[in-house]
Amino acid sequence: MHNAIENRELIVLDGLGIRIQGTYHVPPSVLSHVALGQRSQGRTGVLFLNSLSLPRAASGDSAVRWADSIAERGYPSFRIDLPGLGDSGGSASTDLLDSINAGGFAPVAAAAAKELVDRFGLSGLVIFGHCAGSVSALYAAVASKEASGLILLDPYFHLPQAKRPRVREELSDWARRSKAGRLLSNTYDRARNFLLLLRGSALPGNANSQLLARWKQVAAAGLPILLLKAPGIKAHGSRPRVGEFDYTGHALKLAGRKSRVSVEFVEGADHSFANWDGREAVQRHIEEWLVSHFPLQDLNRSAKRAVPLRAGESQNDSRKSSTAPADLGCALEGR
Amino acid sequence: MQTQVQPKQQLSERAGYFPVSGAHLYTVLHEVENPVARVLLVGPFASERHNSFLPWVRWARYLAEVDIEVLRYDYRGIGESTGVFEQMTYADWRQDVRLLSAWLEARAQRVPLVLHGLGLGAVLAGNAFDQGIGQGLLLWSPPANANQALRATLMRWVGLEQIFKFGDDRKTASDYIRELELGSSLEVDGYRWSVELWRESSSFTLPAALATEESAASAYERPVKIVRLTRDAAPLVKGGLVGYDDLKDFSWLYAPNREWIGAIASRSSQGVAHA
Repeated sequence: MHNAIENRELIVLDGLGIRIQGTYHVPPSVLSHVALGQRSQGRTGVLFLNSLSLPRAASGDSAVRWADSIAERGYPSFRIDLPGLGDSGGSASTDLLDSINAGGFAPVAAAAAKELVDRFGLSGLVIFGHCAGSVSALYAAVASKEASGLILLDPYFHLPQAKRPRVREELSDWARRSKAGRLLSNTYDRARNFLLLLRGSALPGNANSQLLARWKQVAAAGLPILLLKAPGIKAHGSRPRVGEFDYTGHALKLAGRKSRVSVEFVEGADHSFANWDGREAVQRHIEEWLVSHFPLQDLNRSAKRAVPLRAGESQNDSRKSSTAPADLGCALEGR
Repeated sequence: MQTQVQPKQQLSERAGYFPVSGAHLYTVLHEVENPVARVLLVGPFASERHNSFLPWVRWARYLAEVDIEVLRYDYRGIGESTGVFEQMTYADWRQDVRLLSAWLEARAQRVPLVLHGLGLGAVLAGNAFDQGIGQGLLLWSPPANANQALRATLMRWVGLEQIFKFGDDRKTASDYIRELELGSSLEVDGYRWSVELWRESSSFTLPAALATEESAASAYERPVKIVRLTRDAAPLVKGGLVGYDDLKDFSWLYAPNREWIGAIASRSSQGVAHA
């Protein structure tokens, strides 16, 4: 058994009191410097966190592919399993979603970021999270001096109901299956929209105020943030479903004018972003954003350049346009 | 609710890469100092790996707690292993089992090797056992062939997909199966299923003798245990809620199966003593 192969190295972070298992995706230009005793000096790395209870490979092994491609571009990439998840030690909370929504993983993610920065001589780390992982990433960015940016895929700013009543599940299924159900669903949406209008800009009762405060803290301070959104259920483009509160719009307002938040709508992606159209689009967006915010300068001239957008392709739109499914296990389901 | 099975703090778990032709298999060895038996865990397929990951890892730790050394791994082209998924064949995955069994069996201190497969992994483990590998075989929810395993995976994925589609946009599992049978590849949960993967799945079968424990007992002189998992075992089988059911207490499943493996170890050590 080997601990490392051509472009990957298995790492264990053991300075946290719990054995954290991870994978380091090594940039080609770093590989050539290892012989000279250098590691990743001065570079910005990317740290991937688990999405809910998924192992660090993520749905469809998408995190493996993204980390490989980011490393190919010259950015050291790390995927770790948080305590109790994947191959790491420790026990996860049995109220995992509630724990994540309260920032339960923030201390350990921040400590892991520090250990990685120290060990690999990085200038900082962009923390990457998807869905529940983006909530952990956001909390961790506040707790970590090493966080130099955030990549958030379909973050949510409400407190989702993990287990919906069975009757409601069946009603939703009927609404999706039948014409009558669809009509009823649309009427329900309009009723919710009316209530939303009455409420004005007030936050919904299930908003995660603690998380929104953390968002404001990092976004208003000018931390570079890339926020990628997949099409939602019955949503119209990047706008939310009728009757649903526009959390992204609200978050952008909170961030203020001096923020460095880029929001991209990834058409054709499903919520897991693991489908091929979604995966490729995410890869493209991340590479472009990293190059733009964290240029490698002459650290790795050998790193490949990001693939440019195709002619006629908008910065905000990806190539395919069908709405694809999401992951049932995701915290967003049931909102 | 608390997770019942707490691993010993000092248990050694070593992740590594095992070289095979054109790829590296990601492995985790739950190392034991004086093992009474060794178990090769042949896990579920593709996206099912992710769904069942936590109870599968906890099962490995549960075994290691009582000095049963465990090796678990990712199939070629899946998870942390390298290789391009859509280029892989059942022959590649069969070879993975053979190579890892040989590696595990060759470790110092000769003790019985038990193969344990779940879902498609049960078909792979069953075939290896039929070839004479291992002194015991444990199967959880073995399908009759790989096609049944693929259908189960497809059903789970279609169920999720339908949540986000309305009316005519909702495709059934039969619609997707028709596409595969007409020669189109299909993307399931981030994995591109090739037409060959689907076509060859019907002919990659569990050996007939492994249909029941009785038939296995008359065909092999080595012990075989077959467990049909119900929905209580979700997410090891279809059902449940990700993030919740994978953290629940599985000791009702783990305990009797660990006892069964322990009995193989005891019989083997008694045999050695008699000799």
